[in-house]
Amino acid sequence: MTTATANPAADRSRMKGAALALPALLLLLGFFVAPVLSLLVQSVTEPSFGLQNYRELIATPTYATVFFNTFLVATLVTFFALVLGFPVAWALAVLPPRWAGVIFAVVLLSMWTNLLARTYAWMVLLQTTGVVNKSLMALGIIDTPLALINNLTGVTIGMVYIMLPFIILPMQATLRTIDPATLQAAALCGASRWQAFWRVLLPLALPGIASGGLIVFVMSLGYFVTPALLGGTSNMMLAELIAQLVQSLLRWGMGGAAAFVLLVITLALYAVQVRYLGAGRTAVGG
Amino acid sequence: MSPEGTEEMTDSFLSIKNIRKTYGSVIAVEDVTLDIAKGEFLTFLGPSGSGKSTTLFAIAGFEAPTSGEVILDGQALLDIPSHKRNIGMVFQRYTLFPHLTVGENVAFPLRVRRKSASEIKSKVAEMLELVQLQDMADRLPSQMSGGQQQRVALARALAYDPPVLLMDEPLSALDKKLREEIQTQIRRIHKETGVTILYVTHDQEEALRLSDRIALFNQGRIEQVGTGHDLYFNPATRFVAGFIGNSNFLEVEAQGARDGRAKAVFPDGTQMDGVPLHTDGAGNEGSVLMVRPEAIRLETAASQGAGLPIRIFDTTFLGDAIQVDGRTSWGQTVTVRAPLSAGGAQGAGPGDTVNLQWNAEESHLFSNG
Repeated sequence: MTTATANPAADRSRMKGAALALPALLLLLGFFVAPVLSLLVQSVTEPSFGLQNYRELIATPTYATVFFNTFLVATLVTFFALVLGFPVAWALAVLPPRWAGVIFAVVLLSMWTNLLARTYAWMVLLQTTGVVNKSLMALGIIDTPLALINNLTGVTIGMVYIMLPFIILPMQATLRTIDPATLQAAALCGASRWQAFWRVLLPLALPGIASGGLIVFVMSLGYFVTPALLGGTSNMMLAELIAQLVQSLLRWGMGGAAAFVLLVITLALYAVQVRYLGAGRTAVGG
Repeated sequence: MSPEGTEEMTDSFLSIKNIRKTYGSVIAVEDVTLDIAKGEFLTFLGPSGSGKSTTLFAIAGFEAPTSGEVILDGQALLDIPSHKRNIGMVFQRYTLFPHLTVGENVAFPLRVRRKSASEIKSKVAEMLELVQLQDMADRLPSQMSGGQQQRVALARALAYDPPVLLMDEPLSALDKKLREEIQTQIRRIHKETGVTILYVTHDQEEALRLSDRIALFNQGRIEQVGTGHDLYFNPATRFVAGFIGNSNFLEVEAQGARDGRAKAVFPDGTQMDGVPLHTDGAGNEGSVLMVRPEAIRLETAASQGAGLPIRIFDTTFLGDAIQVDGRTSWGQTVTVRAPLSAGGAQGAGPGDTVNLQWNAEESHLFSNG
């Protein structure tokens, strides 16, 4: 890399290559950076100049509850998606290509199916007279229907399902790099399956777990559709709050403040990830 | 390495009994039976796909044989899961745990056995000294060469004093010079620890250099078990004769078989009495004669009348010896490797006709299988 910068010709050709990125960068600048900045400006100028919006955001218990709900759901979703996704990622990494291909197709297909359709499907499944409750009652496991919808339970269930592909793909990329012979070696060294998992497989899978987990956590923090459809009015999440502030209450300043807080949290999490795992590892999951 | 030593190694520490492994209709191991003595260094030698690795993996517990038994020190092994077999293994690929330092890698088997910290510390130091890597305890595997990684793998596999150490082509990824260096170390470590070693390789030179005995695998069976000397000078089958060292195989007819010997009659009428005869399982008589290039003497037709005449078509100077390639009257090529000090028809060149002589004892009759 040091030799490349000393070479003017290489520098020029690299500048030309970078120029090709300009249209996309301009698009981001005009339609992402500028609105975010304007929202930030509004958050400290509307209705009047000052930090009153942020003060209200922190001081109002309702808003604090929304932040709490958001972090709770994002944490639960990340946890369950990791626990459920890990075996799938492992299967993708170690199964013969034919079977791995089938599983891969299922994972991708679920990701590519329309989000609204999938969320409405969960409403049908989870409602009081839905398939899940009816089956459980028919089996005699429960007497009265469980409240699986219009609350955070429903949101968590729906979002875990939506997020699974986003956690499986980076994890399987990492797990693929682990030589199964390493685990055979651990077994012959005397490690039980459990010990081999905790002492060898999990540490080696950590970069993938961290990057998949971060992607899902950050996506969950700002998720709108699933909480709006499967959640209840009494326990709102942050994206819903922002939508309500802006659309129904026309309080652009408050909405901007909430959005900006979300952005800062996301950037902070990304910074932690880069600090401990490196940006490149985040991108490729390896 | 004397051939006389083999007969005493009958007390069996590790017994492999009628191991068979099939994948659908594919037979990986047909029927392998073998007894290994305590402290022995035994090598599974054979071409790829001959079943040697599959047999080793059955002992390690990574492959469940279709049938058969493995007994280690009086205990049936096959029903015990890998992690409870207490066997050491060095793999073909580098299998050090990449997230652990060298010292932590060697400590790993002791940690999962919940040994005390002081015991682990002293054992790790002892093992790293054994493989002469005592200064590298804090390195990560990625900071070491392939040869060093395999030595750490060896230290890790020996840290818990396993009764048996399995080695699956551990040096095949290394270059020749490094390979020989580590072979010397493996020999020393075998001597110092007295551990029983089962070693898999397709490299006959490596097998000859390291082993007390060699089991030569072919198509899921053991063709012959013996010292390198045995396999070289007394090959039991044509496959063994062809796999170990260089050989000439000449078309003959075996006549008057008696007491394991027969008269070899070549197509040109030349005869040789008392050649050891090896019959195959089907009871076919020998129809091919094997003789090593270096066992053959060259004589001019004038000096010694008898012998198999060939016409030389090429000679190659090899420093300590001369290689002579010739053709028999019926068109088979024969290679002779004659030391320069030997007399006879040394001066003969391409176009000359010479007579080949060898001791009947040093040739073998096999069926043409």
